[in-house]
Amino acid sequence: MRDQKALRLSHVGLRGVVGRGMTAAHVVDFASAFGTFLDREGPVLIGRDPRASGIMIREGVIAGLLACGRDVLDLGLVSTPVIQHSIRRRDAAGGISIGASHNAAEWNALKFFGSRGTYLSTAEAGELLDIYHLRKFTFKDWNAVGRLDPTEGALDRYLDDLAQVFNFEQLKRYRIVIDCCNGTSAVVLRHMNERFGFSFILLNEQQEGVTFAHEPLINAKTIALQLAPLMQPLKADAGFLFDADSDRVGIATEEGQAVSEEIMLPLIADYLLPRGAGKLIITNLSTSALVDEIAARHGGKVVRAAVGRQATIDALSSYRSDQIALAGEGTGAVMMPQFEFVYDGIASMLAVLSMMHERQKKLSEIIAGYPRYSMLKGELPLTSAGIPSLLMDLQNQYADGRVNTLDGLRVDWPDRWFHVRVSQTEPIVRVICERRGDPPAVLFESLMERVRSAA
Amino acid sequence: MARQHLLKIGVSGIRGVVGEFLTPALACSFGQAFGTYVGRGRVIVGRDTRATGPMLQHATQCGLLAAGCEVVDVGVLPTPTIQMYVAVSGARGGIALTASHNPPEYNALKLFNGQGQFFNHYERTELIDLFHQSDFYQATNEEMRGIRRDYQTAQQIHMGRVLKHVDLDLIRKHRFRVALDCVNGAGSVMTPRFLTDILGCDLRAMSIDPTKPFPREAEPKPESLGELAALVSRDKCQIGFAQDPDGDRLAVVDETGHVLDNDDVLALAVGIALEKMPGDVVVNLTTSSVIDDVARAHGRKVCRTPVGEANVVEMIQSIKAAIGGEGSNGGIIFPAVHLCRDSHTGMAFLLERMAQTGLSISELTARLPRYYRRFGQVAYGHGRLGSLMQSLEERFPDAVIDRTDGLKLTWPGRWIHVRTSNTEPLLRLAAEAKSETEVEQLYATVMELLAG
Repeated sequence: MRDQKALRLSHVGLRGVVGRGMTAAHVVDFASAFGTFLDREGPVLIGRDPRASGIMIREGVIAGLLACGRDVLDLGLVSTPVIQHSIRRRDAAGGISIGASHNAAEWNALKFFGSRGTYLSTAEAGELLDIYHLRKFTFKDWNAVGRLDPTEGALDRYLDDLAQVFNFEQLKRYRIVIDCCNGTSAVVLRHMNERFGFSFILLNEQQEGVTFAHEPLINAKTIALQLAPLMQPLKADAGFLFDADSDRVGIATEEGQAVSEEIMLPLIADYLLPRGAGKLIITNLSTSALVDEIAARHGGKVVRAAVGRQATIDALSSYRSDQIALAGEGTGAVMMPQFEFVYDGIASMLAVLSMMHERQKKLSEIIAGYPRYSMLKGELPLTSAGIPSLLMDLQNQYADGRVNTLDGLRVDWPDRWFHVRVSQTEPIVRVICERRGDPPAVLFESLMERVRSAA
Repeated sequence: MARQHLLKIGVSGIRGVVGEFLTPALACSFGQAFGTYVGRGRVIVGRDTRATGPMLQHATQCGLLAAGCEVVDVGVLPTPTIQMYVAVSGARGGIALTASHNPPEYNALKLFNGQGQFFNHYERTELIDLFHQSDFYQATNEEMRGIRRDYQTAQQIHMGRVLKHVDLDLIRKHRFRVALDCVNGAGSVMTPRFLTDILGCDLRAMSIDPTKPFPREAEPKPESLGELAALVSRDKCQIGFAQDPDGDRLAVVDETGHVLDNDDVLALAVGIALEKMPGDVVVNLTTSSVIDDVARAHGRKVCRTPVGEANVVEMIQSIKAAIGGEGSNGGIIFPAVHLCRDSHTGMAFLLERMAQTGLSISELTARLPRYYRRFGQVAYGHGRLGSLMQSLEERFPDAVIDRTDGLKLTWPGRWIHVRTSNTEPLLRLAAEAKSETEVEQLYATVMELLAG
């Protein structure tokens, strides 16, 4: 019963607990499906995060792609945004990132990118999934199999482009402490220290470890435990916590305050909205209402999609890119138009530093400029059969609010909201409540009780 | 037209035409089955120069790692070199990605135990059952090991082992002019250096680029070695060597440009080995009687096995033989170096013999008793095998009968051997006699009977 979510094949790719759910056979077949799916000429770029299982998965991915006649460029241990960037720069047909982001060490996953370095659309991902299930792969004859080529310089090209957007000279003077969580951010940040003279102080920067120093979760609790206590002793101007593949990031202030991961999207929205023409912020239904308030300050507008990367991608593609200021979710994952809408923790960090520089303010001062929102999150075991009636009952019970049924049930009132939905990754029901000001304890408890009694 | 076996999964491993038939998924599963069977631990992986080698190597490594094995990638190497490395590296086993003498569209996984030798028949059956049951060990993230690369050590080990058994100074002193054709196979990375730097030969090499496709038929047969023969004649070489793509088989061209019969090459090697080591000789049923003559001259016996390298190897081990091989395949197995087919041992032996005797390779061959052989094949209908064999036996009531691998009928000075192919629905026929007319007559009689 516990294993029912040890493997997930979906529009988002292949994801699972290695050995227990995700096997070598899945990897080889999925890579073969991707090699079959790609209809554009060009090599396929791959890279991985430092999980031990990543080497096994890399071997299977290379084999499947070569068999389909694709040349493969292996970027090695590198953050996902660098892979995505290199796909565009190398004019590749697509790419695969091997890594399970914020999940625990025993998980791993394959993420697929098209020729622009962006995630596959739902239609494309569906086609890939169909090819996988049919297992009709277009393997090439012996004299047309692909070649594995060494590759270098990808990281420098990525940093060159980052340096076009952010003023490295100005940002270098900040004293920054970073918990890399044994992830790929360390590779990028170390190189920034060496090449550009940044003085990032890196924690948990070792790779190729079997286990992470701590779970790669981006939340206030982890930040408070791992990062925040070091801020004042190290006299840091800011602290950042990255997940294993560097797409999510969280912050600690110079005073040692652990800030909720929900802050990243509103914070960067506050930086970007006054700067560009785009006024839309694409996010999901579970993300803090602080972003609505920040958007309103700058004449922006928030578009909310269902939770999950795929829904955000689909929402993004239904607007012109110049209409959009940024996209992201409350998890600390933010995409900016300057980077082709790729979740990039490093770019997010540089945006925050740029904001500090531009406003000549300390990070704690910037954070203090926002109203206080309090969020309560809970989860309960899932009984799938009872979900529809539970949601209908809740909708009737809270009929005085504004109802949204795009993804489970979200109900909004002027000063508070809640969202009840089924997790895509674990067999649980998630309950999220937020209120401007103090925590909405009463609402949260009654919702939890309601979900519990439905089980 | 006989049906070709595009994919064969059996006790000798997995072999097939890469692409539609031998897929990365199959190689991965087989790797995982192998890793499960040998009980995780270290596994050595190497390959020949086929274009599909890297793809299959990555797939196999994926399966091995998924079973919790530590992989040591030794890159492109001759199969015997891989086998010797396995034996000294503390590994649980090894896998060579090579289809040996098969055409370039084929590839295969050759499997070795911790001693760098073939698994015995019973072990191979266990492994294939495990593969079919898909009952693989699934390592967790914590149990996952990595890949280590070692592209250098194995060659030193291999060359060192060969040199222990020949008089190196004597060979080097003669500075033989030698032609070599590696068919752009795995020998390309090692054999030229072995002949020049180690054995001190004046080398005239062709087809030694491991990045290029095979320029001739992969199996080193007389009809495919024309260019090597021409090179020998043009450059006035004293001998010419040809390998198959994984460097275990050897064919020899004499100084006149004539491609030697592989049975004669084996006979020369047997004569040399028996002077070096105690023990008997093991060859397959289709190998020439010249081996019996050579063994008898040394007071040794010849033990015959069914066709197949694994059969010969198993018997060599069982009776602690001094040497063995399979005549027509160009396989020389000298267990003191390693229990495997190795072209390099054969090269060193022949050069040493030329140095010792001062005779040319054609003169050495001419001293062997002369036999004439004829090979052929004929398609047969399923279900007809028993009656064909029976009618053969009845047609020749005076012959000594051996039924261990098809049917072999022996008379003094001549024999015929009829067996089914392992890879195609064909009957393979071999006949041998002391004169050309005798062998043609024997061959014609049998063919008529089989075709009838």
